[in-house]
Amino acid sequence: MSTALDTDVRPEDRFISAFEVNHGQALNGVNASIAQQREDAIERFSQLGIPDNSLEAWKYTDISKTIDRPYTLSLAAEGPSVAPSDIEPFTIDAMDAHRVVLVNGHVDESLSDIGDLPAGVVVSSLAQAGETHPDVVEAHYGQYADAEDEALTALNTAFVQDGAFVYVPSGTIVEKPIFFLHITAGDEPLFLQPRHLFVVEDGAIAKIVEAQHALTDAQTFTNTVSEAFVGERANLKHYLFQDEGTSASQVHTRAGTQKDNSVYSTNTITFSGEVVRNNATIEADGSFCESNLYGLCIGKDEMHVDNHTQMDHVQPDCNSNELYKHVLNDESTAVFNGKVLVTRGSQRIDAYQQNDTIVLTDDANIYTKPELEIYADDVVCSHGATTGQVDEEGVFYLRSRGLSERRAHILMLQAFTDEVVSEYKIDPLRDYIAEKIRQRFASYFA
Amino acid sequence: MSTSETEYLKGKASEDYKHGFYTDIEAETAPDGLTEDVVRYISHRKDEPEWLLNWRLKAFRHVRDRIDGGESIDWAHLDYEAPKFDEISYFSAPKEKANYDSLDEVPDEILETFERLGIPLEEQKALTGVAVDAVMDSVSVATTFKEKLEEKGVIFKSFGEAAREHPEIVREHMGTVIPYTDNLYAALNSAVFSDGSFVYVPEGVTCPMELSTYFRINEAGTGQFERTLIVAEPGAYVSYLEGCTAPMRKENQLHAAVVELIAHEDAEIKYSTIQNWYPGDPDTGEGGVYNLVTKRGLCKGDNSKISWTQLETGSAVTQKYPSVILAGDNSVGEFYSVAFTKGHQQADTGTKMQHIGKNTKSTIISKGISADVADNSYRGQVKVSKNAENARNFSQCDSMLLGPDCGAHTYPYIESSAPSAQVEHEATTSKVGEDQMFYCHQRGLGEEEALKLIVNGFCQEVLQELPMEFAVEAKELLDIELEGSVG
Repeated sequence: MSTALDTDVRPEDRFISAFEVNHGQALNGVNASIAQQREDAIERFSQLGIPDNSLEAWKYTDISKTIDRPYTLSLAAEGPSVAPSDIEPFTIDAMDAHRVVLVNGHVDESLSDIGDLPAGVVVSSLAQAGETHPDVVEAHYGQYADAEDEALTALNTAFVQDGAFVYVPSGTIVEKPIFFLHITAGDEPLFLQPRHLFVVEDGAIAKIVEAQHALTDAQTFTNTVSEAFVGERANLKHYLFQDEGTSASQVHTRAGTQKDNSVYSTNTITFSGEVVRNNATIEADGSFCESNLYGLCIGKDEMHVDNHTQMDHVQPDCNSNELYKHVLNDESTAVFNGKVLVTRGSQRIDAYQQNDTIVLTDDANIYTKPELEIYADDVVCSHGATTGQVDEEGVFYLRSRGLSERRAHILMLQAFTDEVVSEYKIDPLRDYIAEKIRQRFASYFA
Repeated sequence: MSTSETEYLKGKASEDYKHGFYTDIEAETAPDGLTEDVVRYISHRKDEPEWLLNWRLKAFRHVRDRIDGGESIDWAHLDYEAPKFDEISYFSAPKEKANYDSLDEVPDEILETFERLGIPLEEQKALTGVAVDAVMDSVSVATTFKEKLEEKGVIFKSFGEAAREHPEIVREHMGTVIPYTDNLYAALNSAVFSDGSFVYVPEGVTCPMELSTYFRINEAGTGQFERTLIVAEPGAYVSYLEGCTAPMRKENQLHAAVVELIAHEDAEIKYSTIQNWYPGDPDTGEGGVYNLVTKRGLCKGDNSKISWTQLETGSAVTQKYPSVILAGDNSVGEFYSVAFTKGHQQADTGTKMQHIGKNTKSTIISKGISADVADNSYRGQVKVSKNAENARNFSQCDSMLLGPDCGAHTYPYIESSAPSAQVEHEATTSKVGEDQMFYCHQRGLGEEEALKLIVNGFCQEVLQELPMEFAVEAKELLDIELEGSVG
């Protein structure tokens, strides 16, 4: 079942009327608290409206224009059928993982290969988890993402249906990565709103890999919200590889919260897309936390990638590292807006933030805005931003060692991106991504 | 002219007559509120040429629309009540009467500060508004300076005088860097500006001395809406100093100044500011000055250079972004700033460097120091347009926090559309290092002395950009400001 959005009316109203029409089509339709959250969220969305570039947070990305297209709001429980051969290029077989394939935001069990999980660990669809683990879902769902002030998070919350779910109970170690392969398929110009929840309890360790790909050339928009909880002494590594092609736009909102002595690392690589906006928020709600935010954008054609991060230090004695890099070719545009907030009383914080960009062409644009907002005195916080070209001295050195100009440039770019790519602590995954990036750079100098 | 206006002016005129000359000057203020009559009144009082009145009126209509449209500037990291534009008196004639009859009446704390800053007695009198003798020393000093300047063809006058005597130069340049449509406060200033300085340096002339409002003592009290215009013709050089280290109590809470600089080919303008206005009650923050200034320089010609240096220690609220438009090829823009906030002070300051010409360079060094419950923000933009080949920018913004309840923030915007441009930005926030303090203690320095030394070292990069006499005073001023910040 799907609802075509009427383009003649205000874009907000299209969603609101679609909400009214499809009232019952939701995750856990019987769960009263989620049903109430949905009602509140649509109300909030209607008040906030779709953000446009008059808002500081959306200054360089006018998402309202991208959303204002005749998308089809997909509410089907099942996606179109996808054959195993269709997803073969994306499965990264070298990586031994618990693999879950989601087609248009719904888990496709026939394509998935979850394998054996340690006792108590749950890897499933969010809808299923709502039935099997209602206590976990209720304790964490909707707690970290901000549906109060973020219109698109409110919109996602109002239309929530399904998505990925991971639960790692206390003291459990999941050795193999948990791999979610998100596939967009079908001929319709879909507007998808998956919702993910990752809960890693005290002392647990997990690695979650997400990859986004598309099997369609239709113009699609994905409004993802994903929430993560990292318990005391827990360690969660969360990797996201975005490669949906030139007709897919998305807003990907990730909100994580972590407790004492935990480590939470996210790493986002944007390889393709039309308009991509990533909101990554981490709240270090415990002492002695380590938070890492990494990102890389390999821009080409008319790609527009906007990484918006917020690192909230609300407890003392934590440290955070943030590194985002861009390599921009053709007419691509990258936006980076990183904010580090240290609240009053959050003493002894070390927070670092860095954003580096290489601009390869006359028509590429970079807008960067690293922000610090500090209300505690015993802190060491810094940020840096650079934009420039490939270091010609480095190229000269390589040439003097006998490399061709082309090889030298490719190698320099690879070295530049490697600082982020090497943070992928799963060897086969890192090799897979590094090779894709190398091929991309090679194509620039063909 | 409308009847009501004529009547109003007639009324005013007869009033003058009735009370006699002196009383008249003291009492003469325009009625509260922002109306066309008030703008006409200001222009008339200042005996301005028709074209300037028309310019003011254009600006007035614009700003009136914006105010009526409910516009307010609320994006900065500042928390203060927006000025009530209709309750402000936009013009008051300079007071003829002295604030004090002799220095003995001036509060001790102010005198003590003067003493420590090493300000000569006569200047102290002038600054506090003590009645001065006709043969005051500084007046003759000022006259000597004026002669020297005239010899070189440098025009250094009050804005009002310049508009009457050199209309062609003023008209050609005013509003070209900061149009009256620029922002709400600049628009307001354009409609009701009181006075300010005008500097014109002819082609090839290096101005023989540092120009300062200081030397225009007879022109002091330029009011709350200052307007300054500096034009440097090809190959000219001028260094201009604004403000002084002495604590200044201003009568008006809202100060919305406009400063425009224009540097033609091979010209250089250096503009230094020391601002130490009343910051309000240290415990409540009440009554302090709102310093909302628009400052912008245009490097119009090739190889031109504009440099801003500022030391901001006063005012309850400071919002200013001295900027440079680097239009000429090879032009250079610089911004050096120290902003010190304590008590309930709030500052949101920084710069904007717009690279348009080829091989343009800009440097931004900003130091923010925050103590007590103050908030100090750096907000800056570096914009490189597509044709600004080989543009270079280096920015460094450091913040120092003295105490657990203050805030320091940085909001740098970098927008680059040129592949050959190199933009670098660095920022750090930290407190005074314990190891630094330890080292100083070990060498026998007390806590306060050590802090002064470290903070002065932190600001050194900026203070050394100030003209020498200013730099010494600035250092002293910082020391004084730091007192009581320990413990």
